[in-house]
Amino acid sequence: MTRPQTLSRPGPAPAAGPAARPAVPARKARRPAVLVAVSAAVAAALALPLVFLLIEAHGAGTAAVTQLTFRRLTADLLWNTVRLTVVVTIGCAVIGTAAAWCVERTDLPGRRVWAVLAVVPLAIPDFVVSFGWASLWTWVHGFRGAVVVMTLAVYPLVYLPVAASLRAADPGQEEVARSLGVGRVRTFVRVTLGQARGAILGGCLLVALVLLAEYGAFEILGYQTFTTEIFTEFSVSFSVPAACALSLVLVALSLLVLAGEGMLRGRGRVARSGPLAQRRMPPQRLGRATLPVLACFGALAALALGVPVGSSVWWMFEGGAHAIAGVSLVSAALDTAGYGVCAGALATLAALPVALLAVRYPGRVRHLLERSTYLVLAMPGVVAAFALSYFTERYGSGLLYQSAPLLIFCYSIMFFPLALVGVKASLARAPASLDEVARSLGQRRLAVLWRVTLRLAGPGLAAAFCLVFLSVVTELTATLLLIPTGVQTLATQFWAYETNLSYGQAAPFALVMIAVAAVPSYVLGRFFDRSAPAHR
Amino acid sequence: MTQLEVTGLHKAFGEHPVLTGVDLEVPAGSLTAILGPSGSGKTTLLRVLAGFDRADAGTVSIGGSVVDGPGGHVAPERRRIGYVPQEGSLFPHLTVAANVGFGLPSRQRRGPAIDELLEAVGLAGLGLRYPHQLSGGQQQRVALARALAIRPRIVLLDEPFASLDAHLRASVRADVQNVLAETGTTGVLVTHDQDEALSTADRVAVLRHGRIAQCAAPQDLYDRPADADIARFIGDANLIEGVLDAGMVDTVLGRLRIEPSCLASFGPGRGSLADGPAALAGNQAGPATVLVRPEQVELLAEPAPGRPAGRNRDAAPAQLAGRVVAYGYHGHDAVIHVRPEPGGDAPTIIVRTLGGPQLPAGSPVTLRARGPVLAWPRS
Repeated sequence: MTRPQTLSRPGPAPAAGPAARPAVPARKARRPAVLVAVSAAVAAALALPLVFLLIEAHGAGTAAVTQLTFRRLTADLLWNTVRLTVVVTIGCAVIGTAAAWCVERTDLPGRRVWAVLAVVPLAIPDFVVSFGWASLWTWVHGFRGAVVVMTLAVYPLVYLPVAASLRAADPGQEEVARSLGVGRVRTFVRVTLGQARGAILGGCLLVALVLLAEYGAFEILGYQTFTTEIFTEFSVSFSVPAACALSLVLVALSLLVLAGEGMLRGRGRVARSGPLAQRRMPPQRLGRATLPVLACFGALAALALGVPVGSSVWWMFEGGAHAIAGVSLVSAALDTAGYGVCAGALATLAALPVALLAVRYPGRVRHLLERSTYLVLAMPGVVAAFALSYFTERYGSGLLYQSAPLLIFCYSIMFFPLALVGVKASLARAPASLDEVARSLGQRRLAVLWRVTLRLAGPGLAAAFCLVFLSVVTELTATLLLIPTGVQTLATQFWAYETNLSYGQAAPFALVMIAVAAVPSYVLGRFFDRSAPAHR
Repeated sequence: MTQLEVTGLHKAFGEHPVLTGVDLEVPAGSLTAILGPSGSGKTTLLRVLAGFDRADAGTVSIGGSVVDGPGGHVAPERRRIGYVPQEGSLFPHLTVAANVGFGLPSRQRRGPAIDELLEAVGLAGLGLRYPHQLSGGQQQRVALARALAIRPRIVLLDEPFASLDAHLRASVRADVQNVLAETGTTGVLVTHDQDEALSTADRVAVLRHGRIAQCAAPQDLYDRPADADIARFIGDANLIEGVLDAGMVDTVLGRLRIEPSCLASFGPGRGSLADGPAALAGNQAGPATVLVRPEQVELLAEPAPGRPAGRNRDAAPAQLAGRVVAYGYHGHDAVIHVRPEPGGDAPTIIVRTLGGPQLPAGSPVTLRARGPVLAWPRS
């Protein structure tokens, strides 16, 4: 916020008014200094991996980096990564939007059940989906396999926001369009899709970023992308300059995706006049299309849920009783949950001051902070882990290298944007006007935060925590690089068995992982379900 | 005694000045309305008073102590100001009773005090409900009770009735008035509705272009607005051209007697005040803007025999012939727009009548105005 140093007055001053005052310097409004300081520290922590990366690239020398960047391998990786990202993103946009529209706006039988089944794939790690398919059929391989597996694994990332936005959208707009003589189909294209446009784009952005960062699934499918190559360069060939050069290209690619989404989104905002609608739209009648649509939903559930779960169960029994290593399963589950809880708490806590600043004190500082989270979004886990591990080794004399705090720190950085989204949404439910009333009633800032803001934001904070927890449980790439020696999480133990082709022993870990991740997924679903309707 | 005193208050948002020197005094125990069109800075003024925003310049003192001024800024939680926002802003996670007790020390949050307050605002027995289970009017009453619970030095009401239905508005408004009077609480009510301001408040301050244009009791404000703009803003007004001459003013409605008090605005005449108003009146002349309230114009069924309107030297009420342009029926009264005839481009005259037959557009009517009227120099 900028304030002029002198006051100007509109129009001629009425003659009867008080004598003209001399120009008075404006008193400054206080932005809570503590909040700014803490947020700045968080932003600095978020930028760490990228800063390390740039320092390292600089150290390796421009010539070396240029040579490593512009070679045949980079071009191949670029082609592989880009074509997969484009095809899968489009596929997810179509499937996710269509499913969301059917569930939210039509008289599809069993909508509540389909709504849950459409979200559950979020709880299944991409590499488990990939394992489920690839271990059963050999044709699931390479580009074709990657398209099938990844589309089925990540379409909920489009489904969730689109469904929420369709539910919250002003039904009056569609009715007005119809009353103006615009037909059903054209109303869908011009109004409904317009309302959901931001949500679709947001979902596509997430899908693209996930694809850029994915490692495990592509490794199983034998499909080479930037992320798999960086992983290999760093942990197998120990070629740090090469990993560094590829990482920079990958980060640039992610930034390109972010910029593209920002441009497509444009400046248009969904405005709604009047109070939030309480009433629901009368559902569109599917009529004769009901059975085919039901069949599609059934097939989607079977392919996205049935195949990975069924395949894991089959391998578990196929592998025989010796496969189930009870003790390691329990200890891996506990370790995983421990990391998830710590990282979830740390990320949510770190997001709180940033979100408060962003929601309550908009201005230049907010923009800066939002940009800093963009840097994290653009940094795939493999890059963050690689940067952190290499630099603790080099500058921290290996003190924290492969230690639990470093792993938790890495998770918190990686999933900070997720926490921030959740915390911001929850703070929006505690409007500033309530804070003001509370302060006028004699409550200090901290008391207001405790008695009003956090009480109202509570469910949203829980959702943010769950989102990070879920992501940590299903994370593989950074975990493989940073896991303390002698410790196994569900994901790394699964990975160890899977790479040994001990499918029977790997399968129980996949199933437990799904079970542990399903709980937060359910909580998340409830939160999105409730946050959509008007809060009154 | 003055409970709230504001002097020379300035506030700008970026390059955009909102308050440009507000001066206001609110007597203890009174209910003062701040009346202004939307965008006049009403809410900004209220937020500065409550302490949510800081003034750029000027001082605010409450009960004799400065809360915002060159010396510093008292945080909102230390001002003891009850604030009733536009939409109530009840805490959705707390019951009605917990909302009302929010500002009290934790020991007093339950108990008879809360019940008494709820009873005072007409909500006895609803303490265990949640805000979403209340109607809009009930929510506003809870918000008021919550503000009163801390025994505030002043209650600030930000358009508290704007979101209510017309019939509900009147009853909530009357209850608020009563509760404030019974508890002897000083109130400041912000509104854009001049009807509400005139009927609810003891004093009305008109906020215009970021400063108080006039502050007076409702009747004074209506009867003696400081200028033509305020006259137009407070109630319906016929502002017609006239020529001042010897204490009378010649208008399209005839020669009308002028309120002596407004002669001063025409500048000193050749006489002096010491010679008395008559001497002044006799000496001032010039073009004037004349305020004739609609209820000062009478509708005559039959043109009475007599002179037509025009410049006549004698004080007998003149008549004006015209045709009805529009007839607005309001039940208790009717507002009729009449175009003088033969008028050419003469402005229509607004007439308010009690009852009488409905007059279709085009009906010929005869008007007669009664003085005294107000007038200001026309530039």
